[in-house]
Amino acid sequence: MSADTAGPETLGSLSDEPQHQDPNSQQAKEIAGKSPLRIALGRLARDKIAVVCAVVVLFFIICAVFAGPISHLFGVSLETPLASERVDGLNNNMPKPEMGPPFGPFTWEHPMGVAPRTGNDNLAYWLYGCRISLLIAASATLVASVTGVVVGLLAGFLGGAVDKILSFFVDTFLTIPFLLAALTLAPILNERFALYDSYATIQKFSLVVVLALFGWMGTARLIRGEVLALREREFVQAARVMGMPTSRILFKELLPNLAAPIIISVSLMLPAFVAAEAGLAYLGIGVTDGVSWGQTILQAATPTYFREYPQYLWQPLLGIVALVLSLNLLGDAIRDALDPKTRR
Amino acid sequence: MERLDSMKRNKPLALVAGAALLTLAACGGGSSDGGGSNGGTDREFGDQEGGTKDAARKGPAAEIEGAATGGTITVYLPGDPGPDSLDPTTGWSVTGNSIQQALTSRSLTQYARDENGQPVLVPDLATDLGTPNDDYTEWTFTIRDDATWEDGKPVTAEEVAFGICRSLDSEAFPSGAGTEYSKTYFKDAADYEGPYTGKDPNCEKWDGIAVDGQDITISMAKPFPDMDYWGAFMTMGPAPLGNASKPPNYGNKPLANGPYKVDSFKPNEELVLVKNDQWSADSDPARHQYADEFVFKFNQDQSKVDEIMLSDNSDSQTAVSTGLGSDKYTDANGQLGDRLVQQTSQCVSTLTPDYDQITDINVRKALAYAYPYEDVWIASGEVPGVTRVPANSIMPPGMAGKKDFQVDGEQITYDPEKAKALLEEAGVEMPYPITMVYYEVDPLAKAAQDQITKGFEASGFKVKAVPVQESPYNIWLDPDNKVNKTLNLRGVNWCSDWPSGSTMIPSLLRGGAVYNTARFDEASVNDEMDNIATLPLEEQADAWGSLDEEIMTDYFPIIPTAFRNDLFVFGTKIGNPTGDGSIGAPNYKDLYVMQ
Repeated sequence: MSADTAGPETLGSLSDEPQHQDPNSQQAKEIAGKSPLRIALGRLARDKIAVVCAVVVLFFIICAVFAGPISHLFGVSLETPLASERVDGLNNNMPKPEMGPPFGPFTWEHPMGVAPRTGNDNLAYWLYGCRISLLIAASATLVASVTGVVVGLLAGFLGGAVDKILSFFVDTFLTIPFLLAALTLAPILNERFALYDSYATIQKFSLVVVLALFGWMGTARLIRGEVLALREREFVQAARVMGMPTSRILFKELLPNLAAPIIISVSLMLPAFVAAEAGLAYLGIGVTDGVSWGQTILQAATPTYFREYPQYLWQPLLGIVALVLSLNLLGDAIRDALDPKTRR
Repeated sequence: MERLDSMKRNKPLALVAGAALLTLAACGGGSSDGGGSNGGTDREFGDQEGGTKDAARKGPAAEIEGAATGGTITVYLPGDPGPDSLDPTTGWSVTGNSIQQALTSRSLTQYARDENGQPVLVPDLATDLGTPNDDYTEWTFTIRDDATWEDGKPVTAEEVAFGICRSLDSEAFPSGAGTEYSKTYFKDAADYEGPYTGKDPNCEKWDGIAVDGQDITISMAKPFPDMDYWGAFMTMGPAPLGNASKPPNYGNKPLANGPYKVDSFKPNEELVLVKNDQWSADSDPARHQYADEFVFKFNQDQSKVDEIMLSDNSDSQTAVSTGLGSDKYTDANGQLGDRLVQQTSQCVSTLTPDYDQITDINVRKALAYAYPYEDVWIASGEVPGVTRVPANSIMPPGMAGKKDFQVDGEQITYDPEKAKALLEEAGVEMPYPITMVYYEVDPLAKAAQDQITKGFEASGFKVKAVPVQESPYNIWLDPDNKVNKTLNLRGVNWCSDWPSGSTMIPSLLRGGAVYNTARFDEASVNDEMDNIATLPLEEQADAWGSLDEEIMTDYFPIIPTAFRNDLFVFGTKIGNPTGDGSIGAPNYKDLYVMQ
């Protein structure tokens, strides 16, 4: 990070320069020979919150990747059951007692119970919902950060007309209201692709595009600012004088120095997209086939269900909260670990 | 009229909720059911033979026992956007017509609720139910001289004639009921463009109607024995002459002649009606003016309204809700007693296999056996046996002439084995491909589709369910729609406009009819429909019933999946909590606030 973003912790120092160390001291010897990234990882490993969050994130990733085998292990699936077999149409459409809570005891056949009204298995829907959530958020993050980094690099380094044009695009995209655009796009896509067999895939793909389309500007601005500062530094000037091609300067000289801001923006983008995906699914745009935490919340958020069967709402809600919270805290920890000026 | 499955959505961005429907009909009787598993009140639907009339009924309407005046009645309409316009000529929805016909806009005839809860056709602006000539090609109504507008001026026969003439302008009022009935039955109506489109502001170019003093004579293009029922639509009522009633502005604040007048109207939000002090009870055989004010709140959130109505706080005591969420039915049934009213709405839900593509009757029957009725009702938020009951044919229960028969001897239920056997008998390739649409914006519609797909695929069909984001009716009714061209299974929910088979069977199964989404077209059946209209009036009901049975037995072109009922909730201080059997709405005419 550039100096001006250093946290308040560093303000007490008299100087921005790293503290002077005796090169022969014990501490200096430990650091010697380690890359900055290794040092950061070491700091991260000592951060208890970061470790806990990483474990939680890892748990969700395992759930997402192995959704199929885990469901198989528990003997549950996404398959639609006949509603009358699992729910009682004359008892507020609540699950029958033999299906587990809220009216029956826990049963291994449906470890997380079944949904009221449809009788879908909650565990299977939770696992696959986790997969959709992470898949869409990760893809959108990848696309958005690559776009943002490239645009930021070019705009910052080339300057002049290129910078003006690219900055104009950044500003333009920032002015388009995201929710409105997403809402308009859903019927258009439906109109065009409703008859395709791969409609569900197209829907998810377009969701990734929409999220990425409105998510890259922040990264682009951040990177542009960093590059503007870096390109006047001696090592870049030197490379230029030596006649290095622009692409080489960009990717060999500048990019490694941008690792910290990129990792930080990625780690903050990911939870934002998880939340956005659930929010859009709740609004009925984005994923509409029911396999999404947002859609489960939409169905569970009625007063009767919440009063009599609160687990149904808590399950997806806890999933989102735990995932977003740990991703955010992990992002913060990474930011701190990568910044040599922070003291924890 | 068409009816979309109610969309009980609880999301903040309700995108579309088109649900136009009209049921003017006798209250019919399904078997009483719905006691609930938790020992709630046992409820009964009134049985009725359909279509009683009382031509001699005089105003004022009999007082409701214990009724008091004053107070404000708030009506919540969950998931119902309400009418876009209050112009009486343009109305053809259960919501708009039920409110306006009961409270603000009078017409030739109207319905009164008798002591058994049955609707009786009684005079309104006319002094009797009209006098037809021998072959029902000419009807004469005598307009009463003591009815007044809200500004105190008398309602004249010319104004009634002008109002009727307006109903012929199908361009100015494309969604009006006149486009179906006035246009079809009135003399020379098909060629007349109407007062606005035809640039004929005084309606001088149409000679189908003659005014002589207080008498109005309407000439018909073909026999129309149901003119007295058609007269109960508000479009068969008066409109101020000339520019005063010019659309579309008139629809924002029409001149009232009933016991209430429009105070304010925000489409899709709120309609406030206040007492019309110019209305005289002596001139009206069926309406009352008990409450000071009616406030209709449209597009309400179902679960929020349910909470309000069940809480019995001061807000809900004088409120009425036109719906109840299925997740609340058990609670409400136990808690509310008489204040939860079940009302048959004279509507049938159907699936319509494309008659040109699915040509084998056994395949159509296989579809009927493959449809998991109860599971679909549960998944779509209905209460099995209460808001949906099994159906055997097109004509709803209680309609005059309806035959009690079953196509295969007993009620068709979900039976995948039987469906497979029928497909084998038909000798078609299995799995048999089915393409249908569902409304993907509504999670309930999606859940229902999942159940249908499950049932069909267990029965030897292969289902391609196309998600759409607009009302399925827009797809089904548009012959050029690219999605529609791929479908071989559609659907339609239909309600009768008055208690006669003539508002059900021809609308759904006459060759070329707009809502004939099955595209069923058999010359012999078409001829029989035309023939029934020429029969003596007393034979027509039975003839429709027989045709209903004949069509179902011989062709099975349409799969009736359910007869529909509505649930209304009344606050503890609302007097006379009843439903209006003629239209499937609360009985607004007779409500009062207990003091």
